Amino acid sequence: MQGPVQKTLPAIVAGIALFLAGAISIGGVHALGHYMGFGLVPLIVIAIWPRHANEIVSLVFVFLAGLFTDWATGGVLGQWALVFCAAWGVCRPSLRSSAFAPVGFVLIWLAMCAMAVLLISLSGWFVFGVFPDFAAMGRQVVLASLCLPLALVIRHWVGSRIGENAAWGRR
Amino acid sequence: MRAPERSNRGLTRIALVSAILISAILIVLQRGELRESSTFELATQETVAPLAQLLAKPLRGTEAFFGGFEARASVYEKNQALLEELAILRERQARYDNLAFKVARYEAIIGVDNDTNIPLKKIAARAIGETDGPFVRSLLLNVGTRDGVVIGNPVLSTEGLVGHVINAGPNTARVLRLSDLNSRIAVASARSGATAILAGDNLETPKLSFVNQRENWRVGDRVISSGDDGALPRGLEIGIVFQEDTGELRVALSSRAEPIDWVWVSPYKKTTPPLEPNETPMEEAAEDEDAGTSQ
Repeated sequence: MQGPVQKTLPAIVAGIALFLAGAISIGGVHALGHYMGFGLVPLIVIAIWPRHANEIVSLVFVFLAGLFTDWATGGVLGQWALVFCAAWGVCRPSLRSSAFAPVGFVLIWLAMCAMAVLLISLSGWFVFGVFPDFAAMGRQVVLASLCLPLALVIRHWVGSRIGENAAWGRR
Repeated sequence: MRAPERSNRGLTRIALVSAILISAILIVLQRGELRESSTFELATQETVAPLAQLLAKPLRGTEAFFGGFEARASVYEKNQALLEELAILRERQARYDNLAFKVARYEAIIGVDNDTNIPLKKIAARAIGETDGPFVRSLLLNVGTRDGVVIGNPVLSTEGLVGHVINAGPNTARVLRLSDLNSRIAVASARSGATAILAGDNLETPKLSFVNQRENWRVGDRVISSGDDGALPRGLEIGIVFQEDTGELRVALSSRAEPIDWVWVSPYKKTTPPLEPNETPMEEAAEDEDAGTSQ
């Protein structure tokens, strides 16, 4: 059983990581004749959110980081906040019964991407009346998926540094 | 210990639903509204700029490294093509010089004001962030009002017009790209002078809408800014016209040819419409108002 203070630290660390990922999401790389944006990189942080982090603190960070990402990318205010909250709610870290299994994690990640694409498409269609550039979104999914292994390594390193192995879901 | 856990879970659910509802309400409130930058957006932009700049340096360096390999591999073919182009251009240059002389003579005879309104001064800037998302296509530049950037200024790359500044903080500016959903600019065919509106629709090739004199537009026409809206100077290079299977005319943007790294902001002043005879200029009205409140 962990105390509330112990549960709060992982939530704060993950929250800061989500803000950083939100800032990174305004960048991208030119590869194979196309521009690939880091737009979906923040979703990785939500996918690897510590399992036993304080839920209310986590949610506050997730919502605020969503608004921050909206402002940073100059998009529709509330769009990323909605995606982050929905992704965090549906794939709630505390609902994961055990530490990551590779196949299960890939499925969770793909489900999150699909949900994000659906929510962004619908909310954007509602505001602008047109459907999004699905090719650009596809490239964002590919780039974020390529960043996933690196994110897992960083998560492992951060988890071991702050000594919250149980909270980060690795026993 | 079960009861507090259950109540916490209930609280989390309420907080989650509230957060989702607030986000949805924020989205609904923006439906049909003109996109305007808020103070929070400017502050966030200024905050993320240093991080974006830090991230952009190694990424652009890597791109240039691999791009260099690619360019070296095709250097012979490119050289041959350039030599052929040079031969054609030399002949054209001679014709152009003759024409320029002839036009200058005609202009002198009829007294035309032949000053170009494209400012000579340019502010060099680096694109530190590029949002090419599902609904937003913008650039974040590392220059702002301190460098003389003003909202509305055109932004150019070596290839042509990229977009215009839509918000500017002290150290950063956001550029709305020509392909963004909200971008509308007045353009003309360099060949025929026929005008149209270039409307971004989230695709890499924006469409020509409100086409004036459809018969005067042809596939392959060079598109330039017409300056009709007073927001941009006339003559900025934009792209080449092509036709879709549906018959719709679209423009292959010149600025899309190369990845955008360095750009120039042109400090062009918008043309202000003349005042009505009984209208007071805005500055004077504001001064009168200030004088009234201070009394």
